[in-house]
Amino acid sequence: MSLFKARDWWSTILGEKEEFDQGCLCVADVDNSGSGQDKVIVGSYKGYLRIFNPHPVKPGDEVQPEDLLLEVQLREPILQVEVGKFVSGTEGLHLAVLHCRKLCVYAVSGTQGNVEHGNQYQIKLMYEHNLQRTACNMTYGPFGGVKGRDLICIQSMDGMLMLFEQESYAFGRFLPGFLLPGPLAYSSRTDSFITVSSCQQVESYKYQVLACATDADERHDTEQRKLSSGKRLVVDWVLNIGEQALDICVASFNQGVSSVFVLGERNFFCLKDNGQIRFMKKLDYSPSCFIPYCSVREGTINTLIANHNKILNVYQDVTLKWATQIPCIPVSVKVANFQDLKGVIVTLSDDGHLQCSYLGTDPSLFQAPKVDSREINYEEMNAEMKELQKIIREATKTQDILPESEKQRDVTVTAEVSPDLDEESGISNRDFTFSEGTQRSVLCILICHRNDKSFHVNSVFINLMQAIDSEVKAGAVPSVTVKITIRSRVTAQKPSLAVCVQAPLAVTCDQFVFNDLEPDSSETVVLSVFLKENCSPPELEGTCIVSYNIPTELNPEGIPRVSQCNFSLPLKLVCIPAQPSKAASHKITIDTNKPPISFITIFPDFVDPSEGDQANALGFQFLAGSKTTLLASKTSQRYRIQSDQLEDLWLVTKELIHRLKEHFRKQNCKDFACTFSGSIPLQEYFELIDRHFELRLNAEKYQEMLSERAVQFRAIERRLLTRFKDKTPAPLQHLDTLLEGTFREVIALADAAEENQANIFQAFAKLKSATHLLIMLISLWQKLNTDQIAILEATFLPLAEDTQELGWEETVDAAVSYLLRTCLSKSSKEQALTLSSQLSMPKDTSRLKKNITLFCDRLAKGGRLSLSTDSATQQAAVMPGGCATIPESDLEERTIIPGSTAVFPSHGQTTKQKSKPGGVVCRLIKGTSVQLCII
Amino acid sequence: MGLEPLFQAWSYFRRRKFRECADVCSQLLEGPPGEQELDSEYTVFQAAWNLKTRALTEMVYVDEIDMDQEGIAEMILDENAIAQVARPGTSLKLPGTSQGGGPSPAVRPVTQSGRPITGFVRPSTQGGRPSTMEQAIRTPRTALTARPITSASGGYVRPGTASLITNPDGPFINLSRLNLTKYAQKPKLAKALFEYIFHHENDIKNALDLAALATEYAQFKDWWWKVQIGKCYYRLGLYREAEKQFKSALKQQDMVDTILYLAKVYLRLDQPVTALNLFKQGLERFPGEVTLLCGIARIYEEMNNISSAAEYYKDVLKQDNTHVEAIACIGSNHFYSDQPEIALRFYRRLLQMGVYNCQLFNNLGLCCFYAQQYDMTLSSFERALFLAENEEETADVWYNLGHVAVGIGDLNLAYQCFKLTLVNNNDYAEAYNNLAVLEMRKGHIEQARALLQTAASLAPHMYEPHFNVAILSEKVGDLQRSYTAAQKSEEAFPGHVDTQQLIRQLKEHFAML
Repeated sequence: MSLFKARDWWSTILGEKEEFDQGCLCVADVDNSGSGQDKVIVGSYKGYLRIFNPHPVKPGDEVQPEDLLLEVQLREPILQVEVGKFVSGTEGLHLAVLHCRKLCVYAVSGTQGNVEHGNQYQIKLMYEHNLQRTACNMTYGPFGGVKGRDLICIQSMDGMLMLFEQESYAFGRFLPGFLLPGPLAYSSRTDSFITVSSCQQVESYKYQVLACATDADERHDTEQRKLSSGKRLVVDWVLNIGEQALDICVASFNQGVSSVFVLGERNFFCLKDNGQIRFMKKLDYSPSCFIPYCSVREGTINTLIANHNKILNVYQDVTLKWATQIPCIPVSVKVANFQDLKGVIVTLSDDGHLQCSYLGTDPSLFQAPKVDSREINYEEMNAEMKELQKIIREATKTQDILPESEKQRDVTVTAEVSPDLDEESGISNRDFTFSEGTQRSVLCILICHRNDKSFHVNSVFINLMQAIDSEVKAGAVPSVTVKITIRSRVTAQKPSLAVCVQAPLAVTCDQFVFNDLEPDSSETVVLSVFLKENCSPPELEGTCIVSYNIPTELNPEGIPRVSQCNFSLPLKLVCIPAQPSKAASHKITIDTNKPPISFITIFPDFVDPSEGDQANALGFQFLAGSKTTLLASKTSQRYRIQSDQLEDLWLVTKELIHRLKEHFRKQNCKDFACTFSGSIPLQEYFELIDRHFELRLNAEKYQEMLSERAVQFRAIERRLLTRFKDKTPAPLQHLDTLLEGTFREVIALADAAEENQANIFQAFAKLKSATHLLIMLISLWQKLNTDQIAILEATFLPLAEDTQELGWEETVDAAVSYLLRTCLSKSSKEQALTLSSQLSMPKDTSRLKKNITLFCDRLAKGGRLSLSTDSATQQAAVMPGGCATIPESDLEERTIIPGSTAVFPSHGQTTKQKSKPGGVVCRLIKGTSVQLCII
Repeated sequence: MGLEPLFQAWSYFRRRKFRECADVCSQLLEGPPGEQELDSEYTVFQAAWNLKTRALTEMVYVDEIDMDQEGIAEMILDENAIAQVARPGTSLKLPGTSQGGGPSPAVRPVTQSGRPITGFVRPSTQGGRPSTMEQAIRTPRTALTARPITSASGGYVRPGTASLITNPDGPFINLSRLNLTKYAQKPKLAKALFEYIFHHENDIKNALDLAALATEYAQFKDWWWKVQIGKCYYRLGLYREAEKQFKSALKQQDMVDTILYLAKVYLRLDQPVTALNLFKQGLERFPGEVTLLCGIARIYEEMNNISSAAEYYKDVLKQDNTHVEAIACIGSNHFYSDQPEIALRFYRRLLQMGVYNCQLFNNLGLCCFYAQQYDMTLSSFERALFLAENEEETADVWYNLGHVAVGIGDLNLAYQCFKLTLVNNNDYAEAYNNLAVLEMRKGHIEQARALLQTAASLAPHMYEPHFNVAILSEKVGDLQRSYTAAQKSEEAFPGHVDTQQLIRQLKEHFAML
């Protein structure tokens, strides 16, 4: 991250596909011109040696041909180039070139040419040494304090230091504990070599010690080297820096203290002569190379560190002074003085990008890419905006999500329930006909088909699949076949069908995925519905929903749509004909205004025709319930339904009234009506409520106990953890037994809670049946119209699921008391009461019972159920708290019980609020600035 | 003409071309089996093995100091806590321990734990520390605050899987077959091997075994091994033991990294004051060290001492004026202390430095808006939308656009912007709240109330939804509900004057009745 970029003074790209590394760049006045003008010497792994003398006419110019003083190809890769006083008898600078197995020293000289720019440069080999071992890097200096000449020390790949006193080989020493070579530097102040070993230590070896130690060449055998302990190579000082180093430099400027700089992989160290840390800096980037170059302020040293993010940082000790961008990652950086410019930064990248640059305030212009936006045409935009606004207004005028009207339906779904039960139902509880193997292979087939995307639903497979255990304790569980057909007039993408019936009923397969439907095509699936759990269903209805996408011009992905249809299931699915029984504890009597009809006519599927027309009693045995008997009075126009259980009356009563109405509708008899005169069986109903509520209380108790046990479990766990963590293990003191005991308790409690959950479910199903019965009786008793029945249903059968947090009792209580306060209220005083804001589980059911009783009383006294507009604004409060956030589920529930939407007022009606004085001062949350992510 | 393969590999490693380096080393390692003995003193094989180990480690290396993730189990089963209720100013667990100097939540939004949001996302800025398991589980977990159950299942898993990808033939080093004792006696191999096990294989137990053996072999004189043992202990959750190791290492050798590790341990032990002191001692030894300064600033920021944090961030900038975190934090600090023009300068600086992402443009847009440079506002947001990488970012930008729309009075636009926010991220509590305010203005009281309830349940730490419910109920005449909501609001933000006024008013009213 940098504000500025390095200003290009002169740059070139060397060769093609050549490799360069740390040692390949050297800056010095190699031809001894005496002008103090540095030349740039570059060697490559391909063996090219190049010498440049950059002198651009103006900064950033093209490279002139005469800038390249010399280019020769040597026969071996060049690992390192250095310039020093390498030739005896002269103090002139010479060029040392390190190859893998050879060290060559050249003299570089220029001869004045005849024309102006015709200087001619050449190199002359002064001497060369062949090396026994593969070289790695080298350093030079006045070893041992010699004056006026430089000695060379070469480090080999296997850890030998080879020292050359100019033309002659002096000695070689193995470094102890060597594995991989590290950087090497010579400190003239202490006359020692400094390197970083594989043990991640900075090590310093005195030249004197090296010279006195056993010669490595004389004893090649490693065994002997170990034995000759007399003059072992002793390290001067060691500093553990805990990381590998990239480079070492020894620097002292202006008679200041000399320091050893070590560039590690993650830190930058400055060491004193004795190996103590003077300062260090943690680098938050990967450095590539560095050079300490001068001391601007007394006591501080400036360093250039380049990194792999292509940034060159200038540090004064640890303070960042400047950061600049450079075009590539340098492997080596030097500072050079040229004719007219001092302190030029010379960088070399590993692909041969050689650049001389200087620091400047040239901003590193980052050109943000143009945002993909259209050319602004205000008229068009205005028009588009208006159109969009119109669409939005339309959409917000109605409710956000509203089912479409039927006539626009492009895809229709129809369900056909077969009139007879399946002859051979695949469902059984005991004599399970298919072996495990069969089932598995069928599953395999289904899965394969799905993977092919050519999955066509096959009813045979489905029937095999449906070999599901039913919990009903009867001999054979009947099932009924439902055939669902989807017809499409347009192309429908990704159609999927979901079939749902209310538990305890179940379907054999409830999800189907089809291929895209062509226009005017249809798909048919067949499935079976059966009673799964051991209780009677409150409703014998089911829904199937198809969701699909219709592609449009603007939106090829398609707009999601749904279409649905309901189907009702036959009564025979859940009960079988039985002998009528005379005695029963619950009885209700339905009056009609027509003479009684023979049961043979209206219940042909239950009455055995052999019994003749004297059948005025009919028995129904519920698969998962008691026996219900239907009696028709021979003299009066009455029917009696009786059973031992209240909830079992519902389905039969409903079926009876439904069939009677059907019968009279067929006979074109319009004034048929049923009435109910007797008292509403509220007491029995309350018993069911109490039963459900008791189970809910139980569930709460279980939950509390579970959380208690869980807390206890965690506490024991924590204790154990501390015990185990202790250095001196203390005895467990039966904590483990306690842990296991608590664990078992938790599991047992969870099992009990699950069982309780199942009981709640059954109790709720019964309660629902009874509630349906109650609603029907009230409506027959008070002769309510359909709107009023809808209100009643919405009041007593809330859409929300029955859960522990929000149960049936409190929801119905809120709804009933709302009705009592509004349309059934006796005085205006009652209306003023406000609702409690949060629905919570009541302590007992007495309030609810009282309210229901009162509700029935008020209805009996002539109260009318109506929801006038003036109370509509308050209406939404009946909605269970905070459920408005999930509109999807709203839709779903609404589709299950159509007609109950009447309770929800549309939001367009609330005009009254506008007259409120003054605006409500509310706090907007201020715009939040977003946190920056790590770059 | 060619280079020695080992030299080539060594050179590749120095230039951070690890893939090439590992390839060359693999070729070297495929040599004749006679040489494949690590026992001898020096072989090319050994060197190549070492180099490859290091190269594979470097490929997946993440600085351990930056890795921090606290799982729910670690927070709950925390047996290191000294006091149940810490004294003010000594703990990071209590939200309200502000020592002054920080802006109020009315001005600067807070995180779930009640701390002001920071300007820079770090691994440890996620969410707060719940006090019980139940609360931890019930805390609304949105996509942005999701927390792993234990840290062993969190972000650490990712580095460990690197070993599966890099080598299709199976792992380079089969840990189960290693004789750790043998390696521990070879310091030059052991260090590279340890880093490989720790970073590449993410096998902390084996790494700890190796480190324990090696430090014994080194006669407990190598501080590096102690730091490594401390790192392992930290990962294993043995903070006290880790502290011991780090302290012992610091006695031998002062190192910046060791100080940072030790401070990390103290922070995990919830001893911010100790960590601060440690950092300050470290600064005496290494004056001007940016990471230490930054550590201090972060702690102050977490302790809600914004002014001190800003001071230290400024010190960071004095040492390293390209420090993105410091610039971003100072910028956001200025923004929330009502100096958008100055914040704008900081963010512009980041832009010039080459930071180019959605967040920056979003912040630039907001600063421009508050600094009344309306011409730049919308184009900044346009860029931010263009650069947004995920739906959460898009939601942030739309939310702020909605806010700008409210500011210029275009309520229709604002309404649509907030709706779009919710389309992109339907956990956005602030948007729910603001949408509720707009609904309220339209007179849709019930809808507003439902939205406010949603906002309150999504973000219980915000006081605005509660306050709005209180105001709304009070206007409607539902004083009881207004009072309870006002109390919740006061709980979330005790210093809010309007809430206090409302409560006083309500109390007077109740007294009159």
